[in-house]
Amino acid sequence: MYTILALLVLALTPIRDDHGSAVAALADVQNAVGEIVRIEDGNDVGRAAFARAANHARSALDAALAHLDTMLDQRATPRWQPAIEGAKVNLLAAEENLTDAAGEHELDDYEYDVTRALANIALAVGRPAQDGALGGLTGALANTDLAVPAGARRVNGCSAPAQTPAYGVSDGQLIYVALPRSGDAAPIPPNLDIRSIAIRGNDVMLYTAHTAACKVQRTREVAAATVVPALYTAAQAHAGIAIYVHHCLQCHGADLQGTAGPAVAGTEFLKTAKFDGWSLEDMRTTVFTNMPFSDPGSLTPTQYADVMAFLLASSCFPAGSKPFPRADQPSFASLKLAPPGGIVPTNRKTGTCAVK
Amino acid sequence: MSRPAAAFVVFAFLFFIVTAGARLEAQSTWPTSGSYANAATDNSAWILPARSYSGNRYVPSAKLGVAGVASLKKAWSTPIDARGPLEVSPIVWHGTMYVTSSHNDVYALDAKTGAVKWHFHYTPHVIAFSANRGVALADGNVVEATLDGHLIALNATTGKVAWNILAAKDPRNTFFTMQPVPYKGMLLLGASNGDWGGVGYISAFNAATGKRLWDWYTVPGPGEPGHNTWSGDSWKRGGAAIWSGVAIDPATDTLYVDAGNPQPDFLGTVRKGANLYSNSMLALDISGSKPKLKWYHQFIPHDTHDWDPAMPPVLFTGTVDGTPRSLVAAGDKGGNFWVLDAATGALVYHVAVSKQRGQQTQPSRAGDIACPNTNGGVEFNGGSYSPVTNMFYVPSTNQCGIWTSPGTAVYVAGQFYLGGAFPKLYGPSTGMMNAIDIGTGKFAWRKSLAFPQIGGALTLSSGLVFTGGVNGDFTAYDAKTGKVLWHYPFGLTIQAPPCYYELGGKPYVAVGAGPAGVNFADPRFGQGAPTLEGTYAHPVRAVITAFTTP
Repeated sequence: MYTILALLVLALTPIRDDHGSAVAALADVQNAVGEIVRIEDGNDVGRAAFARAANHARSALDAALAHLDTMLDQRATPRWQPAIEGAKVNLLAAEENLTDAAGEHELDDYEYDVTRALANIALAVGRPAQDGALGGLTGALANTDLAVPAGARRVNGCSAPAQTPAYGVSDGQLIYVALPRSGDAAPIPPNLDIRSIAIRGNDVMLYTAHTAACKVQRTREVAAATVVPALYTAAQAHAGIAIYVHHCLQCHGADLQGTAGPAVAGTEFLKTAKFDGWSLEDMRTTVFTNMPFSDPGSLTPTQYADVMAFLLASSCFPAGSKPFPRADQPSFASLKLAPPGGIVPTNRKTGTCAVK
Repeated sequence: MSRPAAAFVVFAFLFFIVTAGARLEAQSTWPTSGSYANAATDNSAWILPARSYSGNRYVPSAKLGVAGVASLKKAWSTPIDARGPLEVSPIVWHGTMYVTSSHNDVYALDAKTGAVKWHFHYTPHVIAFSANRGVALADGNVVEATLDGHLIALNATTGKVAWNILAAKDPRNTFFTMQPVPYKGMLLLGASNGDWGGVGYISAFNAATGKRLWDWYTVPGPGEPGHNTWSGDSWKRGGAAIWSGVAIDPATDTLYVDAGNPQPDFLGTVRKGANLYSNSMLALDISGSKPKLKWYHQFIPHDTHDWDPAMPPVLFTGTVDGTPRSLVAAGDKGGNFWVLDAATGALVYHVAVSKQRGQQTQPSRAGDIACPNTNGGVEFNGGSYSPVTNMFYVPSTNQCGIWTSPGTAVYVAGQFYLGGAFPKLYGPSTGMMNAIDIGTGKFAWRKSLAFPQIGGALTLSSGLVFTGGVNGDFTAYDAKTGKVLWHYPFGLTIQAPPCYYELGGKPYVAVGAGPAGVNFADPRFGQGAPTLEGTYAHPVRAVITAFTTP
């Protein structure tokens, strides 16, 4: 009885096969391209035939997207996630262009839409030589542990394999594929981006571009801006003192290092900002919309701008002639918060600068 | 001296050291599984957050009664780190009290005099606000879970670090406020990540080494039952954090635990569905290598007001309609007190203990009024049950708020993931002390109070109920009538639950009081107006205070 129940549970539990899903998605994408190319090469030039081809291609992309959604719907954040997210976005864009194509009346318009769709599809398919978000499906299959088929031997990519065939993986990156030199049992897998080959005993080692990953410990450091822009005026920072004292000090402390709330300036604050990858936009949103904690949104835009100026000044960012804006600025999203270089804080312990 | 003689002397010396060491070991025994199992009846100690695994702060005591409570006087008051509010539930064992501050300083105090035996200082990174609810005693160590996601074991005799592990899975959005609970060689600990874009979980660690044994997630992943109660991939940042204490039935190895509100807190449109197991009580079978869900009871499906069941579960046998029943109680920030069947999770009844208005409205761009406010209703220290009166005593808070949401939610690592803003207080802010007749589910008595009440309740069999308010009033009520029999004004906020122990034949009631903190600052009370010099007009203090009879 229990055996049957266990088998039932096993049968009902989905077994993840992300490699299989990626390969299937790639096949679906190729089918979509096939639909488009076939009508171009054929003799039927009727409008309905072109519309049908666009719709069939879109259906094939639907199937590919379903595979990608299955891959992304998991608790972990795999190394290949950016590449697959990128592929997903590009396939969604391709679908939109194919929908437009199916509704066109003129062949020129159809060609225009389909050309755009094919460009999107090319990005989704990606390139084995490209790692990360632009790598697409083939980039992920060539560079990450997505290369490892279900049931294949996965080993630590920073040491030699005890048995072959084996896939060497480190921190989600594919380091090598090791195959036995003799025998037809282990053909060279498709979609790889091999940069060097070595013979090791009875095995062939196919190395990717990521062998250096075993030597260098990656950090999550965000590079400090080389030139720190002047984001506020000294007058604003001065006006921000009183606002901070009345509305922020109770939780964030007289030294801005936090009491019941967190630190908001200086070494501790900037360390967190770097670790969490905060932009100036993130900081501004938090201050303008979530603070003060007990009465968010209760200050005027001028007061919020002044308190932002005070906080930036306290973190030793330089003052300038342009005031901190009361309205949102798109450029803030690309300004990462990091310790401003070359400025000695007035309080070395907290890493803050006194505001006058 | 001949060589054999010298060898004998060395041997004898070594033997002496070994046996002396063993004797020293024997003298300083620590709580065993038996001590924990019998914690409800040992008045010399207070070794679990809410005294026993039942989670019920109830003491069978004849040493402090209705007649004698008027003579209760301060025995000692020890200042501790005041960087934030005190929410600690003290642990008392063999005359030593172990407490924590909001920023994870740990103190060993002489439970009779308040003298500091040792002090461990810590400066954690604070993600959003500071709070800590206390330590666990395990294998001769005092173990605390910290604001920067660590689990730290200190030698209980010396205060020196025995081991220190990073226990949070994602320290960008996860920290710990919960008091670890020792159970059969494990330490149980929930993660506080429920408003910062995390997914709730409770973990078990090896109590001696800190090795992780299991994690149980409160939001079902793909393929798990309940996953379809989240639209799209909203479950990935679904919240349902485990903040508060737990109750355990050791006879069945059943863990009763509450999962908090869903995220983004104030925006339901991006997470359509009931959002299991947010705002639910969960009964988990923890007898095996991985917990198994026995039942769940969702109190507020698809919550958009952060009305999570903050009160730790209380297991008790109460008489309902003349029949004794095994029950488990819960309370939420939406102002509800819930009584469930402990075996099945079926609802027995529910009582509204705070003012409730506009609970079906949604936070909007213009703002909607709903009550209670986020810090209203029943808070994280909960209440207690007395089998003598068959009443449940639970403090509550009356507040309303204006709730806003811009209609979008953006995840920024290490920041609130709210889809809106915490509500603005609207109208008065008051409290209630409630006594609920478990037999009928109706109020036996209620006291209307000028300030929010979040201190939790301690009940004595002799007919006393202790609780503290945010205005610093520490009060003893007559359990039968609600008459105020004794009170002590701290002049500091009380957000910590009281505990009870006996030493040298005398009863002690102890409680922490300190700064208001982020959540419970009240313009009518607190630390005085901040000055332009950047210091408080009123000094910030935090104290642990014990009261006793002459």
